[in-house]
Amino acid sequence: MAAARGTTFPGPEAVADFLRGVRVGVDSGLDPLAAAQRAAVELPANMRDGIDIVARRLRGEYDEDEWGFDEELAEAVFPLFDFLYTVWWRVEAAGVRNVPSHGRALLVANHAGSIFPFDASMMTMAVMKEHPLPRWPRFMVLDWAFTLPFLSAFMRRVGGVPAGRDNASRLLAQDQMLMVFPEGVKGTGKPFSQRYRLQRFGRGGFVEVALRTGSPIVPVAVVGSEEIYPKLGESRVLARATGAPFVPVTPTFPWLGALGLIPLPSRWRIEFCEPIDVSEHAPEAADDRRVVFDLSEQVRETIQAKLYESLVERGSAFL
Amino acid sequence: MASGRRVLITGVGSHWGAELARRLERDPGISYLAGIDTARPHAELGRTDFIEADLRSPVVSRILPGTEVDTVVHCGILWYPEPGKPASALHEINVIGTLQLLAACERTPTLERIVVRGSAAIYGCEGAAPAFFTEPLARRLPLRTRFQRDISELEDYFENFARRHPEIVCCMLRFQPEIGPDLDTPLVRYLSLPVVPTQLGFDPRLQLLHADDATGAIEAAVRRPVRGAVNVAPDGAISLSRLLRIVRRPGLPIPHPLFGPALSRLGRELGAGALYGDAVRLLRFGRGVDNARLREEVGYDARFDAAGAIRDFAGKAGGRRVGPRLHPASVIDRIVGARG
Repeated sequence: MAAARGTTFPGPEAVADFLRGVRVGVDSGLDPLAAAQRAAVELPANMRDGIDIVARRLRGEYDEDEWGFDEELAEAVFPLFDFLYTVWWRVEAAGVRNVPSHGRALLVANHAGSIFPFDASMMTMAVMKEHPLPRWPRFMVLDWAFTLPFLSAFMRRVGGVPAGRDNASRLLAQDQMLMVFPEGVKGTGKPFSQRYRLQRFGRGGFVEVALRTGSPIVPVAVVGSEEIYPKLGESRVLARATGAPFVPVTPTFPWLGALGLIPLPSRWRIEFCEPIDVSEHAPEAADDRRVVFDLSEQVRETIQAKLYESLVERGSAFL
Repeated sequence: MASGRRVLITGVGSHWGAELARRLERDPGISYLAGIDTARPHAELGRTDFIEADLRSPVVSRILPGTEVDTVVHCGILWYPEPGKPASALHEINVIGTLQLLAACERTPTLERIVVRGSAAIYGCEGAAPAFFTEPLARRLPLRTRFQRDISELEDYFENFARRHPEIVCCMLRFQPEIGPDLDTPLVRYLSLPVVPTQLGFDPRLQLLHADDATGAIEAAVRRPVRGAVNVAPDGAISLSRLLRIVRRPGLPIPHPLFGPALSRLGRELGAGALYGDAVRLLRFGRGVDNARLREEVGYDARFDAAGAIRDFAGKAGGRRVGPRLHPASVIDRIVGARG
C-alpha cells in the first residue's frame, strides 16, 4: 500500500498507528515532540528522519552562529538555488580553485540585479558545487535591505550581513570568506545600457579592511547578472514612497506586478581571478590613501578586463 | 589596601543592587559596605549599612563624604518605570539622580573609583547596524528614543566627571537586557506570555545576559575597574525565533506597524510603560555588542553564552507557563477516532 516512487509513504493504517503511538507517549508523560519521535520507529526511514529534524528544529536544537547564519537552513534552500544555478541561468564557473580553501579571504565582484543579491548566491553556489573544499561564504548586503521584513531575516540565515567595515573586519578576523560588492547601490542601479561598466568602487573601504586583516583579495567577474533585470529607467515616486534607494523600471516591472520580479533567464559565467596578496603591506598601510587607491584600482581593472573577456567567452546573453 | 575597601552602592533596593551587595558582603577585602535607596531591599542583607535617602535630593551630597568610601557603584539607573509610574519619573531618577550623585562625588576626597551599571541601549537598534557594537561606536547612530537620550546624557556627565578627575577611575558598564527565572522585568514577563507577539517578517538577533553573569560582571568590575565604557553581554547571539522555540513559547507574528500599539497595551500590563519604543526596536532589529573588553580587560568570562542563558531560563522557568495548554492527546483522539 506504500506508494513506491523513490520515497515511500506510509499507508493510512501506519499513520493512525503512528498517531496512537504519539498518544501513548504523551499519556506516559513525554512531551509531544519526544512522543512523536518515539512513535516514528514504525515509519519508513525517510519520514523518521524528517520527524527527527522537525522535532529538533522546533525545540530550537540547531546551530546558529553569532551572525544568525543557520547552516541547516542554507542547506535546505540549496535545491532552489541549485535550480537557478544549473537550469535557469546555466552558470559556468571558472577558476574556482583561486578561492582559498581555508582562512580569511575577500571576494570582490561586480554588482547588479536587485535587492536580493542573486550574484552573491550564485557565487556561493559556484564555491559550494565546484570547489574541492566547499565552504559557505558570507556576503555583504546593502544596508537598506536589512530593514525590510522577511528579506532581512532570510538573508541573515543564509549568510548575509549588513555592509560595513565593522562587520567585514570581524568576519575576516574570524577567518571567514566574505563576498563584497564595492559598487554598492550604484552597481545595482545602473541602467541596462551601462551593463558591465564598473562604477566607482566606493571609497575603497574593502581594501582598507583587507589590509587591516591581512586578507587576500580575490577579484570575481560575474557575467549574466546584469541582464536579469534590464533597467530602462527608474521611478522617483515609487522610490520616495517606499524609502528604497531606487525603484527600477524594467520591461516587466512594475507592469506585471510580482511576476515582473522573476529574473530573466540569462546565461551566466562566473570567473574567479588569481588572489591578490596584500601581505606585503603592513596593516598600517590601510591609512595610506595611495596604497588603498592603487589596490582598489588594480582590483577594479582586473574585474573590468575579465568582464569583457568573459562576455566574449559567454557569447549570446540568453541562448 | 591594608584597611580594606569602602564601597557604597546606590539603588541597593533594586534586585541588582541587592544581589551585588550580597556578593560583596562575602568579600573580606571590603571593610565597609553601604547602600543608598529610598526603600529597603526585599532580600535580607547582612553587614551592609543601609542609608535611606533619595538620590535625587541634595542630601546625598551631605551623606556621601561622611562615609569616606573609595568606591561608588551606581546601580540606581532604571531601565523601565516602576509599575504605575509615568515615564517622566524614569528620566528624573536616571538623569537628576546621576547629577546629584556626581555632585556628591565631587565632595568626597576619598573617592578612587566609580562603577556605573549603564545600558547598551545607547547603541540603539538598527536594521543595518554593525552586528557587534564595540565601545567606541556609541552615538554613531541617531538617538531615537527617550531612554536612549537619557542614557547618552548621563554617560556624558560621567565622561565629563572622568575628565575633571583623572585620578578617579570611571567605569561605565553597558549592559544588554538581562534574563533569569527570578527576574521580574518587562522582557522576562514578555517571554513568559502564553503566546508571544513577534513582528511579522523580522527575526532579531538578541543577546540576553544571564542574571548570574550580570551580577558577576559588575562584581568583577568593582574589583578591577577599567577606564571608560565596557560592554556587558554574553558571547554569541540568538535569534528571537530560536529563543522562543527553546523556551517553548509559540510566537504570534503581528505586522510591524501594529506591533507597537499591541505591545504598548501589553506593556501597561507588563509594567513596561512608555519604554515600549525601545522594546519595539529591540524586537525588530535586535542588537549585538562585542564583549572583548569585558573578557580581556575586566577579566570576566560570562558563564552562559547567548543560547545557554536562554536554555537555563527555559529549564528553570518551566513552571511559569500561564494559559491553557493545547492538549495533543485530545487532538489525536479526534483524528484517529474519526477514522474509526
